[in-house]
Amino acid sequence: MKNSLKLVLAVVLCVFLAGVAGFADEYILGIGFTIFMYIALAQSWVVLSGLTGYISLGHVVFFGSGAYVFILIWGLVPVWLGVFCSGIVVGLVSLIVGYPVLRVRGPYFVILSFGLAELVKNLVLINEARMYVSMRPVFGAPALYQLYTAMLLLAIIATGLTYWIRRSRFGAGLRSIREDEEAAETIGVPVAKLKLLAFAISGVIPAMVGAIFIMRSGIFQSGDAFTPIVSFTMVTMAIIGGSDDAPGPFLGVVFLVLLQELLWVNWPEVYMIILGILLLGFVLFIPNGIYGWLSEKYFGNKKNVT
Amino acid sequence: MDSLLSPQLLAAAMITGVLYALISLGLNLVYGTMRLLNVAHGDLVMIGAYVAFIAFSLLNIGPLVSMFGAALICGFLGWLSYKCVFQRLLSNGQLLSRLEENSLLLFFALSVIIQNLAILFFSADRRGYEYLSAIVEIGDVRLTGARLTVLIVGAVISAAVVFFLRFSLFGLAMNALIQNRDASAIVGINVDRVQMSSLIFGFGITGLAGALISMMEPISPVMGFPYTMSAFVIIILGGLGNLWGGFLAGLLLGVLEVYGVALTGPEWRSVLVYGIFVLILIFRPQGLLGSGKTAR
Amino acid sequence: MLLEINDIHKKFGGLVALQGINFSVGYGETLGLMGANGAGKTTLFSLIAGHQEPTLGSIIFEGQKINRMRPDQISALGIARTYQIVRPFRGLSVLENVTTGALYGAHKIRSIKNASKFSREILEDVELKDRAEDLAGSLTLAGFKRLELAKALATGPKIILLDEVMAGLTPREVNEAISIIETCKRKYNLTVVVIEHVMKALMRMCERIVVLHHGEMIAEGTPGQISEDSVVIKAYLGEQN
Repeated sequence: MKNSLKLVLAVVLCVFLAGVAGFADEYILGIGFTIFMYIALAQSWVVLSGLTGYISLGHVVFFGSGAYVFILIWGLVPVWLGVFCSGIVVGLVSLIVGYPVLRVRGPYFVILSFGLAELVKNLVLINEARMYVSMRPVFGAPALYQLYTAMLLLAIIATGLTYWIRRSRFGAGLRSIREDEEAAETIGVPVAKLKLLAFAISGVIPAMVGAIFIMRSGIFQSGDAFTPIVSFTMVTMAIIGGSDDAPGPFLGVVFLVLLQELLWVNWPEVYMIILGILLLGFVLFIPNGIYGWLSEKYFGNKKNVT
Repeated sequence: MDSLLSPQLLAAAMITGVLYALISLGLNLVYGTMRLLNVAHGDLVMIGAYVAFIAFSLLNIGPLVSMFGAALICGFLGWLSYKCVFQRLLSNGQLLSRLEENSLLLFFALSVIIQNLAILFFSADRRGYEYLSAIVEIGDVRLTGARLTVLIVGAVISAAVVFFLRFSLFGLAMNALIQNRDASAIVGINVDRVQMSSLIFGFGITGLAGALISMMEPISPVMGFPYTMSAFVIIILGGLGNLWGGFLAGLLLGVLEVYGVALTGPEWRSVLVYGIFVLILIFRPQGLLGSGKTAR
Repeated sequence: MLLEINDIHKKFGGLVALQGINFSVGYGETLGLMGANGAGKTTLFSLIAGHQEPTLGSIIFEGQKINRMRPDQISALGIARTYQIVRPFRGLSVLENVTTGALYGAHKIRSIKNASKFSREILEDVELKDRAEDLAGSLTLAGFKRLELAKALATGPKIILLDEVMAGLTPREVNEAISIIETCKRKYNLTVVVIEHVMKALMRMCERIVVLHHGEMIAEGTPGQISEDSVVIKAYLGEQN
């Protein structure tokens, strides 16, 4: 397909999806909201874990922190500025935290990401307990169609960002880090800088997603905001779809959210089990994901393993 | 609050330490022989605990008997996961190139499957049962019978496991595999079988530890995660794949945790474990006892 | 002088890997590093390329001290190295491997398009053009060695450190490799430092050879001088002459 044609199609799709907000019912908007949320999350995950190879199993930490920052400044600043601020704050903090964290490589990083998310969650829990708060309701949040549109915007930005990074000089550097960090440094890739940047970029959008999400759920509870389920879903969606390029997570998310829609309300456990089995199967048998598999099969492109 | 030097606290530290040592030994075996990082490890503790709970409340079998059942069941799960998942992982060149990362993803998936199956079967409620709850006094130390039993049985089992690994043919083969996989195959060790056995054995002793834990603490489908974290802290402290180092580190973490909680407060327990975990990974990923090369 | 090695020492714990190494490399020169396994040749490359820091001494590149710089900074100055045990980006295509070098390194070509164009040219030079779109992991050993060279060339170096790029190749492949290196040297105006076990190749390519033995420099001279140096012969070949 020609690039210009692709672009036109993408724009038409986005305009259509945005237009839907005007007349669709709550149910459709709700599904759309969830799909966009996970697209934004999975695309962000891909920037760090898919391209750079630093697999994060604790990406919910950005989501939860964004939500927490947002709830702390709720009412003090205009809503959308608050969302923006939570993204910026989390991005800045991750630039600081990322420095020591990203020195930890390979499998150590993976388990570190896991533990770090739990550490932050417990710190927030303690902090909340000290202030004698167990949950914080969000009153007067914008209407669903507004949240829907905002989430759509984040999904578009996240997808565009991943798409662009994957094809940029920056992305080439990240992918070389994934393949062999020391060899990358040898040919001049400033690995520490690029990793840190990827880490922060990978955190900003999930933080804003977290902020918007609690407006939808109407409540902030630290246990829920930092639930490992979000990390798990993000990882699974990206891997099932294919984590080396932007179309991958897109495919994974649409597939899984529809499954979730069928199962989540009545059988959440069954949904999680199916998710687990899918992740097992894809890692073992289709490690390049749906997109990698499709492009290898039909376009003869060689894609790579995460 | 107890004085920090009280034997009471020391006993508590010993109990936690022994359990940690036992649990982390299982994790270490699986990592050492196959380079698999099992983030579902704590879920085996949970399974062991539920086996003991069911045996006690439905069949009226005490945990000291059912712990062997728990070991068998978890061992069986080890066999099953080896046959269904890890044999393929370990024999596929493409997957092997990022073995540790892939194993993390796979175990992550298994963890979610196990936890949600447990919620489906047992509901998410916390449960517990009364067993040997009478207080026993030894000198100044006051313990429930259950905790005393856990201490003694845990210590005996740990010692037995260590001796077994040190002196049995299986233990030697396993050690050989940890030291050098390729050379092991050359000297005629059936690598595939030893790998499978270490998964069975590692899962088994963890399930057993879970049964012991159920005597003292309430159990729930999500109880495993903190144990996963602690076990990782321990094997990293002790040096990955280093069984003795891990054993010592288990005792050490038990002491750190009990004394740390005594100094700060019970709500800080998780923060303490995860905090140590994060700091260790950032500053000494090669372990306290190891001296291998660092990630730069 | 382009590169000066001044009184370099390197210790790993109690083990002395290099001591008192002194030599320099002039613009456009081809210098050979010779020595048995464990003599410290690769360690010396790691020090120059910034992967390790010398315990003592200084490394000067175009008048600038580079001891404490990071590998990527050193690469940006125009020093490229290859690895004895090849390190291709296996999951990327051959072209992507080389393009990454062109995008970073000393060239820092900003646009992907120009970088790929330049990289294709280099792939032609090292005779890997036909494999440009293939996954790097699918190459043969000779292919890997050429890819190492291509990645290094793409960074736009002034000096290139070649670590046994001919080890394990057949005699025919060795000849091809020598001619590739010589062509590239002329075309890109390079200075070359080469570690090689294939003696004939070293003798043929180099204008000057430095011999390391157990971390010490035991000789320096033209190939002719080295092949007749009694200390070298004793260290290298034993007492048989």
